[in-house]
Amino acid sequence: MHPVIRLVNRNLTISLNKGFLIWQIVFPLIYIFVAGFAYTALIHSVPFGNKSLDYPAFIASGMIGFNIMNSTLISGIIIWNDRRHGMFEQILVGPFTRSHYILSNIYTIGIVGLISAALITAVGYPLFFKSVEFNFYTIPLVVFASVTGSILFGSIASIISTRLQSSEGFNVVINTAFLFFAFVSTAFYPAQGAPEPLSTAFYLNPLTYLVDVVRAGMFGNFSTFVGIEMIVLVVVALILFTISTKLLSKLEI
Amino acid sequence: MPCIVTNSLSKSYGSIVAVDGIDLSVNSGKIFGFLGPNGAGKTTTIKLLTTLIAPTSGTINILGMDAIRRPLDVRKKIGVVLQQPSYEPTLSVEKSLEKYGMMWNVERKTRKDRVEELLSAFDLEEIRKIKNDDLSIGQRRRVQVAREFMHDMELLFLDEPTVGLDPSARRGLLDFIKKKVKEGLTIFFTTHILNEAEYLCDEVAIINKGKIIAIDTPNELKNKFGREKTIKIRIPETKKDVQGLLIDVKDYEIDFNSGTNITIRSNDSEEVLLKILQILTANNISIENLSVMPTTLEEIFLTVVKNSNASSN
Ligand SMILES: Nc1ncnc2c1ncn2[C@@H]1O[C@H](COP(=O)(O)OP(=O)(O)O)[C@@H](O)[C@H]1O
Ligand SMILES: [Mg+2]
Repeated sequence: MHPVIRLVNRNLTISLNKGFLIWQIVFPLIYIFVAGFAYTALIHSVPFGNKSLDYPAFIASGMIGFNIMNSTLISGIIIWNDRRHGMFEQILVGPFTRSHYILSNIYTIGIVGLISAALITAVGYPLFFKSVEFNFYTIPLVVFASVTGSILFGSIASIISTRLQSSEGFNVVINTAFLFFAFVSTAFYPAQGAPEPLSTAFYLNPLTYLVDVVRAGMFGNFSTFVGIEMIVLVVVALILFTISTKLLSKLEI
Repeated sequence: MPCIVTNSLSKSYGSIVAVDGIDLSVNSGKIFGFLGPNGAGKTTTIKLLTTLIAPTSGTINILGMDAIRRPLDVRKKIGVVLQQPSYEPTLSVEKSLEKYGMMWNVERKTRKDRVEELLSAFDLEEIRKIKNDDLSIGQRRRVQVAREFMHDMELLFLDEPTVGLDPSARRGLLDFIKKKVKEGLTIFFTTHILNEAEYLCDEVAIINKGKIIAIDTPNELKNKFGREKTIKIRIPETKKDVQGLLIDVKDYEIDFNSGTNITIRSNDSEEVLLKILQILTANNISIENLSVMPTTLEEIFLTVVKNSNASSN
């Protein structure tokens, strides 16, 4: 077996535990079903391009993006734990190189991101199946969003985990950053209708772009604007990825 | 055949010279002890030899390979237990051994057998289901050392492996190491616990302030540096002026705590002893007790390090 695959195997073993599954499945489910239906009384429908979605379908599709983002936290947690518990050095005196280590983290987030997206798609399907418009770019767009989103947010998590020194700092920074991404985005509510500084802030947040691309794929609503969002996602993901790889390859032992 | 050879190996951190021009040649199939006080440069040397850090200057050859040019090839053939703890907090003891074997590409069947063998050899059976996070420091250290034996290797580096272990675990580990060496493994072992090195090592080097100050078999070191013996003589209380009688004798100390104690510390302690005995008999002073302290590696170590500190100041 290739060294990178062996490291991915190890990454998945140490990350896919009960806590992670609860975080990745139970929590989003509560969101989709409780918030989705509770808010239906307030929000009858969400205008979306030339159609309108009911709120449960809107939030369920938003949760796909949210889940992709959340799943990338594990790359930060793996790097952070490896540094703190000495496994980073131990791996580097083993039959591996730094590139193996970096690649294995990318594959891990890619895999976990895809699994997370698939899980929420399956679980949320009953809620949005009425509105889904399957066409030849549905799956490519969702996969594109999963992969680009994983790399983008995974890089943010790695950058944080390579820069910080104390555990308190790590938890505070990573939770604050991801909370901001989650709630100042279009994952839970539409940008239209939000008061001005907020709706602009939504578009400073890569999760908004990610969620827009997922929804465009699922509800058959591709537009030039979504195309631009995809380009922005790729560019930002590449920049962050380059920075995080640089930091990891220089991380002191 | 030597399996570790270094030439003028040095590593500096800014103005700190952690390793200062080390020349080493370690033979296969042996246990090589690397001794030194804290901060002497033992860990830095291990990190250099295992390719974890790059030297400032000098050459390193491990198992016939240039370690600076072919670090990955070297790492595939060695095992390393670093001084710093390392563990997977969320995995159980047995799972972490198993996964470590997987990371080393050990076959599933072999992995299973080795996990059982190591759990028993390192007395980990009772805690096999416990997560590493919940172990004591000593238990974690045992898991960390045991884990390294999951894979095949030709050369094993151990950086103070017994720190944190209780005496029986410590002895168990040393005996396990001895067994593995009989089966053909070579071991490079650092410690600051001297009787461990004496019990285990075929050859030892003493390092201080980044420089090797002595290198030989434990016995030869004793012969070379251990000529200074300590002999203690105890005589009953007497009105005679013992100090005055011994005025011409060198290399001894005298104290009068509960009786009179004479301590000889000299490279020619036998000569000194003879002189003192002659004077004492001539003056009709009897001897209550006489004892010779055996030289331990510890004493040699202290002497050698003290001398080296004195000469570098
Ligand atoms: N990363 C580092 N940066 C700066 N100084 C270091 C570093 N690592 C080790 N040193 C210094 O190098 C010297 C040797 O350290 P070390 O090899 O850890 O000694 P030992 O293992 O014998 O106790 C010490 O003075 C230590 O402070
Ligand atoms: Mg050390």
